[in-house]
Amino acid sequence: MAMLWEFFSFELRFRAKSLSTYVYFLIWLAFSFFCVASESFGPVANTNGKILLNGPWANSFQDAYALLFGIIVIAAIFGTSILRDFQRDTYQIVFTKPISKFAYLGGRWAGSFVTTVFAFSGLMVGTFLGTLAPWADHARIAPNQAWWYLQPFLSIVVIQIFYIGSLFFAVAALSRKILVVYLQGVALFILYVIGITVFSATRSLEHFWSGVLDPIGVLMVDRLTRYWSVVERNSQLLPWNFSGYSPGVFLYNRLLWTAVGVAALISVWAMFPMSVEALTARSQGKRAAKARQQEAEESRPVRSRVVATLPRVRQIFGTATIFAQYWSLTRLRIRIITREIPFWGIAGLMVAFAVNNGYFAGRVGGVDVWPVTYLMLQAVEGSATLFFVIVAALYAAELIWRERDNRFDGIHDALPIGGTTDWLSKLTAIVFVELVLLTLAMLVGMLMQTVLGYYHYEVLQYLKELYVVTLPQVLGTAMLALFVQTMVSNKFIGHGIVIGVVVLQPILFNFGWENTLYLPGAVPPYIYSDMNGYGHFVPALFWATCYWSAIFALLGVVSIAFARRGAEVSLRARAALARRAARRLAPAGALLLLLAAGSGAWYYYNAHVLNEYLTADDRRRLQADYERDFKRYEHLPQPKVTAVDASINIYPEHRSFDGTGRYTLQNKGTQPISQIHLTDQHEAVSNVRFDRPFHLQSRAPRDAYAIYALEQPLAPGEVMTLTFSVSHATHGFRDGNELAQLAYNGTFFDAEFFPGVGYDPSVELDDPRRRREQHLGPLEEMAHRGDPVESRANLFTPNSDWITYHTVVSTSDDQIAIAPGYLQREWHQDGRHFFEYSMGSTHILDFYAYLSGRYEVRKEIYASPSGPINLEVYYDPAHGYDVDDMLACTRAGLDYYQAHYSPYQFRQFRIIEFPRYRTFAQSFSNTVPFSEAIGFITRLRKPTDVDLTYFVTAHELAHQWWGHQLVGGRVEGSNMMSETLAQYSAYMVIQHKYGKDYMHRVLRYFLDRYLRGRAGEVRHEPPLALVQREPYVWYEKGGQIMYTLADYVGEEQIDRALSDFLMQYRYANAANQVDAADSTDRSGAVQQPYPDTRQLVEALRAHTPPELQYLIDDGFNRIVLYDNKALSANSKRLPDGRYEVRLEVQARKVQADGNGVETPMPLADYIDIGVFKGLKDEEQPLYMRREKITQEHQTFTIVVNERPTRAGIDPYNKLIDRIPDDNMIDVGRE
Amino acid sequence: MALTIRGLSKTYPNGVVALKNLSLSIGNNMFGLLGPNGAGKSSLMRTIATLQEPDAGSIDLDGINVLTQKDAVRRILGYLPQEFGVYPKLSATDMLNHLAILKGVAVVAERKEMVEALLQQTNLWQVRKKALSTFSGGMKQRFGIAQALLANPRLIIVDEPTAGLDPAERNRFLNLLSSIGRDITVILSTHIVDDVRELCSRMAVIAAGKVLLEGSPAEALTALDGQIWSRIVATDDELRGLESQFQIVSTHLVSGQHEIRVFSASSPGTAFRAVPPGLEDVYFLTLSRNNKN
Repeated sequence: MAMLWEFFSFELRFRAKSLSTYVYFLIWLAFSFFCVASESFGPVANTNGKILLNGPWANSFQDAYALLFGIIVIAAIFGTSILRDFQRDTYQIVFTKPISKFAYLGGRWAGSFVTTVFAFSGLMVGTFLGTLAPWADHARIAPNQAWWYLQPFLSIVVIQIFYIGSLFFAVAALSRKILVVYLQGVALFILYVIGITVFSATRSLEHFWSGVLDPIGVLMVDRLTRYWSVVERNSQLLPWNFSGYSPGVFLYNRLLWTAVGVAALISVWAMFPMSVEALTARSQGKRAAKARQQEAEESRPVRSRVVATLPRVRQIFGTATIFAQYWSLTRLRIRIITREIPFWGIAGLMVAFAVNNGYFAGRVGGVDVWPVTYLMLQAVEGSATLFFVIVAALYAAELIWRERDNRFDGIHDALPIGGTTDWLSKLTAIVFVELVLLTLAMLVGMLMQTVLGYYHYEVLQYLKELYVVTLPQVLGTAMLALFVQTMVSNKFIGHGIVIGVVVLQPILFNFGWENTLYLPGAVPPYIYSDMNGYGHFVPALFWATCYWSAIFALLGVVSIAFARRGAEVSLRARAALARRAARRLAPAGALLLLLAAGSGAWYYYNAHVLNEYLTADDRRRLQADYERDFKRYEHLPQPKVTAVDASINIYPEHRSFDGTGRYTLQNKGTQPISQIHLTDQHEAVSNVRFDRPFHLQSRAPRDAYAIYALEQPLAPGEVMTLTFSVSHATHGFRDGNELAQLAYNGTFFDAEFFPGVGYDPSVELDDPRRRREQHLGPLEEMAHRGDPVESRANLFTPNSDWITYHTVVSTSDDQIAIAPGYLQREWHQDGRHFFEYSMGSTHILDFYAYLSGRYEVRKEIYASPSGPINLEVYYDPAHGYDVDDMLACTRAGLDYYQAHYSPYQFRQFRIIEFPRYRTFAQSFSNTVPFSEAIGFITRLRKPTDVDLTYFVTAHELAHQWWGHQLVGGRVEGSNMMSETLAQYSAYMVIQHKYGKDYMHRVLRYFLDRYLRGRAGEVRHEPPLALVQREPYVWYEKGGQIMYTLADYVGEEQIDRALSDFLMQYRYANAANQVDAADSTDRSGAVQQPYPDTRQLVEALRAHTPPELQYLIDDGFNRIVLYDNKALSANSKRLPDGRYEVRLEVQARKVQADGNGVETPMPLADYIDIGVFKGLKDEEQPLYMRREKITQEHQTFTIVVNERPTRAGIDPYNKLIDRIPDDNMIDVGRE
Repeated sequence: MALTIRGLSKTYPNGVVALKNLSLSIGNNMFGLLGPNGAGKSSLMRTIATLQEPDAGSIDLDGINVLTQKDAVRRILGYLPQEFGVYPKLSATDMLNHLAILKGVAVVAERKEMVEALLQQTNLWQVRKKALSTFSGGMKQRFGIAQALLANPRLIIVDEPTAGLDPAERNRFLNLLSSIGRDITVILSTHIVDDVRELCSRMAVIAAGKVLLEGSPAEALTALDGQIWSRIVATDDELRGLESQFQIVSTHLVSGQHEIRVFSASSPGTAFRAVPPGLEDVYFLTLSRNNKN
């Protein structure tokens, strides 16, 4: 024991004297300090802005995250402690002393453990200091609680140090190789990062094993806390017991990995030889002996001692020789790389990950799609990018240091080769390696496309993406690494600097340093679209690549000048040599400098002079300014737009448009209006004129808000016209942030470019964190239902109720232009293609869009009871996959909605594809722009697949009723009347096609999204009927509530309720307006209230039987969560051959408030009890009955005809339950 | 070929003086450099081999300024550093062929002939396809010699070439070197005095960055003729006594007893017998004289 203490204290003394110990401590201190003191830094920064920065969840997550990078630190401390004796050759002295193995290993290990724990304790100190920083966001800092620091530290950090450290200690002790010690940390780190990337690519909902097996904890923390509300995140620690939504995962994980650590320690103690030879030496020794023997035989001296004269050779030095030298050096370097295992390890790993990710390329958000080339590239290249960069940095270092590492520099440096030749050959070797990897990625991509049954190989796209876009960026990193390694005196310092430069970029970007021109190697973001190719991203991409390539090549020239050659390695000596080489290299340097300056200047001219350069922060400031300056006008009475007539010319090839418009405005209030306020979000409006005398009273900078005074006020009921010009011209390119609305093929912009009457609240910032940054108060809550002013305003277009719409739109000759309305006329004139659309006298929302593209068109006429309807799909010629599905769904939807709700109000329904710069579908009147990313490549491979296209089409079609017929007032809850009801309608259409069992899968998928959505809530979660801006409530929760209601009450009943409600309240405020300026009818124009959720809920309540009324209250007016669980299930065979199942279940119900604070609710609920045959996830019901549950624990005895395999409570997850998996269990046998 | 070194000085950043105003003329012959560890031999050779910059001085090689026209020197240079390693997993043939390309031997047939001849000469023919990294120390040294002789260099600089060679290989190498060293300049640094004696027509002794002696071995030996005396000493006490009395050149152990060699113009005593001077005597005397100054 004394000996153990001796080794232990020696180790501690050694570490206490070592600078690195304190550096590690300071790194962690700085890391956690900035996590708290700066909101844009660290893992918690990008999460919910209500999470306490020093709260229990933040500390746990930060600890797990720090440990991810900490792997390398742990490896460094533990690995070197055991290796020190071998590195310094003191082992021969140590091992010849009478010491015990236990004391030797134990002391070293324990010393390292204590040192590492000390280093990581910087995390706690840093967080604590961060909470004291006066500039930190103190709204997110709670009074410090010691246990919030200690529990995560003990249960995450200390345990992890224990087993990761023990593992590394064992590997180091048994291998005794310095390289292994240096690499094992990095290797584990890379493997883990890639593993996580791969796992998240599968988008699995699995959360038990993925949590238990996670060795680092980042994934585990996510699995454990994915449904935690803000309150839970700010008050709960990871549970040391079987509570929580993933019971036992944390405990099992800690136990499993602690056991791994113990096993590592036992094996190192058992297997460590206290001798000179490493464990692996025996086999190596045998091999060496054999080699020696062979060598001895072969090198027996040749007898002849006569010296023959050497032949004479000619030396030729010219251009051809320079090329031959370059080629020979390059070949040699490539051969050395390709003959080493690491290269094949990297390539093999990359291929393995690419195969895996490629396999899931055809799966986006849980939906099977065709693995089109951009998706496949994203999959195979996405996971490989890390490899490309690592390889560039790694081999740049190896090539710079190889001659020195192999001590061949004495010979190499005295050879008659030019420095440029030498450098170019190094670069070429890296190019070769990268080309191999890129080509492998391409081949894997095409292979996986073949495997997935997609045979439309777009080789050119692969080549462009991999060789034209990616390769130069990777080579930039390589040249940077070559430069850094040339300048620094140590390979590992070089690696550190290169990693630093690469890692720093996203951090700087987060801090608002977004300029491509100063982020080394950055290119502006780009998106490939099948419709538009690389489109308008090409110039910015090209010039940024050009700029950075020139700069990196310039660094290359400097590297050549400063290359280590000979014994002069000090930077000063090399600087002297560089000055001598300068004259030779100056022309190349000057040329590159010119290229860098030229392309940089051109980029600057485009991004900063032709276009205004705004960072994300600048844009938020503009939003905040708008709110600060003009929110006071929000409730100022303004006339309503009642008719729109516009003439628009789209120039797709210039990404521009211009045109003129005319609004008809009517004063639907009771007071005269003397000021007209116009919002112009995009500085697109000019030539504003009214049909009566007026003058401009004020105009905000950037034309954000203009106030016009009318000489003669607009009397109540009176109508006037406003005419204007509208245009947007694209000049050159921007530094990212290109307008997605404008494309060479696939233009799609809406009325946001047109003048908006009055203040536009949609401009306001809604993230509380961003609002605090801009010193804005909390976002204004929506008005309560029944608010006298707001309930009279249209939810979607507060300054209009309904409009009539007419437009003429032109585009380039080869494109089709589309806007809402029936086509009146189509003609070609002056090399342009014109279309005239009109809605006639039909009322639509003041909500319209213009689209233009080179489309293939599929048309059909659908005979419906209300008359023929034209169904049209406009799609990219390559995307014909889902057109039939879309049309089928439209027919099915029209059938269902017309039969159950009300007649369709239009004679046409059109779906138009647009580029995937934006990924949504949106329902305009009879016109649905549909992103190419979500609807046109869906593919049904298995009958269980979620048919997303069908679903989205049904949803958007349903909006023609819920949104375009029924509109709520601008009060809380109204949003659900369009979104929830559209979601519900789509569920019904899907259920009619696929059946009820299929809905189980759909509901599971949406339930996860609801629970994650509420966990990420930044303000407070409202009940469904009071929803404001919470998509997870109005889509996922709303859909589930309505579906379950229909399931419980009956689809017919619910649909009748909806139909009654719709027929009573649709087209509110449509009858009390005039639609055109020439109309003289001014009577009855006083605004009436729009419907709100009170009426909807009452309509539903009226059709719900008394015993199920609780569903209405729970579903719409409360936030209710169930905790249903099957506890046990056993079956026995009855004498008559049937089976009796004894099922014990648990049911609990809680009500949550907006912050997630839960209170138990009494239980008197009807819940499904079911028994099934078949395997898990393929269950078929044998018995299904809704039981009234009043007890927390209840046991059912059920007799079924066939052998049961599964049984449970609420097996189809109709109720909202945070642990949906435990509702069913396997049936055991008695 | 004639190499003229003038006033070469070099002080390393850590303050160690490697070369101190050193001047030498080396003609078309084998030139031996003798000196103790740290004398500046390697510094001098690295400087001539274009791998190091002097603080002051000049080196001229038949009109080529070695310090500025490095590439011109490298084209005619064959250099074997004192210590070198090899790339892993490459065979001797491949590596020599590669180095021959780098040395401008552009004609494939010539290159092949040269590489094969050198492999034969350095007795590496049988292992030519083996990875260099598996070579033993001696084999590696022979490979080093082979690469230095590629492309008929006119200036050969070999730093401790015989270190690590067994006696047979050492002889072979010396033979080889002398057979090609007729019309070219060969600079050979060594601490094995016999190498110089056997091979070199000119030599220099260097210590502390200065030339202590320059001339032909024969001249140096002649100068000591009849002035070296030898005696067997039985005990350490006796040796101690003699040390204070005479200028001892060297001591050797012969069967456990000390044989001492003493420099003296006349017979130091009857116990001593006159012996013919060796180059080693020249070397030690030069060094010890320098130490006294």
